[in-house]
Amino acid sequence: MQWVETEETVRFNEVDQWGMVWYGHYMAWFEVGRMSLLRRFDLLPRQMVELGYIAPVITLKCDFKHPAACGDLIIIKTTAVKPEIAALTFKFEISLKEQGTLLARGETTQVLLTTDNKMIYRLSGELEKRINNLLNYCQK
Amino acid sequence: MKEIVNNSEALIEFLKKMIIDTLKLEDITVEEIGDDTPLFREGLGLDSLDALELVVAIEKNFNVIIEDENVGKKAFESINALAQFIQEEYGE
Repeated sequence: MQWVETEETVRFNEVDQWGMVWYGHYMAWFEVGRMSLLRRFDLLPRQMVELGYIAPVITLKCDFKHPAACGDLIIIKTTAVKPEIAALTFKFEISLKEQGTLLARGETTQVLLTTDNKMIYRLSGELEKRINNLLNYCQK
Repeated sequence: MKEIVNNSEALIEFLKKMIIDTLKLEDITVEEIGDDTPLFREGLGLDSLDALELVVAIEKNFNVIIEDENVGKKAFESINALAQFIQEEYGE
């Protein structure tokens, strides 16, 4: 499985009262990782809209393994897996850059709707081509 | 499969079982699903993600394709509607 890596630094405004990263920020990092991956395959949200589609997230899972602190360098690893249904599933692993400690592991699933909000049950055309490119890359 | 598709009663029974198995509906039995019960919302309570899974099961079992929600709305109205849809599309 091929992962795309993105580096971030934990900001002061991302830590809570206890000096640890607030749990909700991991979702924002998932988004950073997803964008890095989607950019490579011309599947950024605006490019999807140009094709006539949107992809809202319908499932989100996250296991928190270890806390991170302000100033920590983190690596967000992202990959996509091929679901049986017409949907997009991404997996994420966030770890400390230097020690390699795993901080969190997560997964999101997005369904595909046309821009007039009709769900599509099967991929076709240019969207299918780009998603297949993405999935083939990630399955390498 | 052709024999099942051509026999409405057998097809309806097959579809009810397929829905229960595909969606792992542990609390519902074949007998409890009415032929005219709506599959979504107030009926069986299925949602749009369930629809995606059923679409895959229908394609695998019958090689019948449901492209999108517009087609799905009609096909998933009830078990009867789904059976009729499959009978119309099967083998074309």
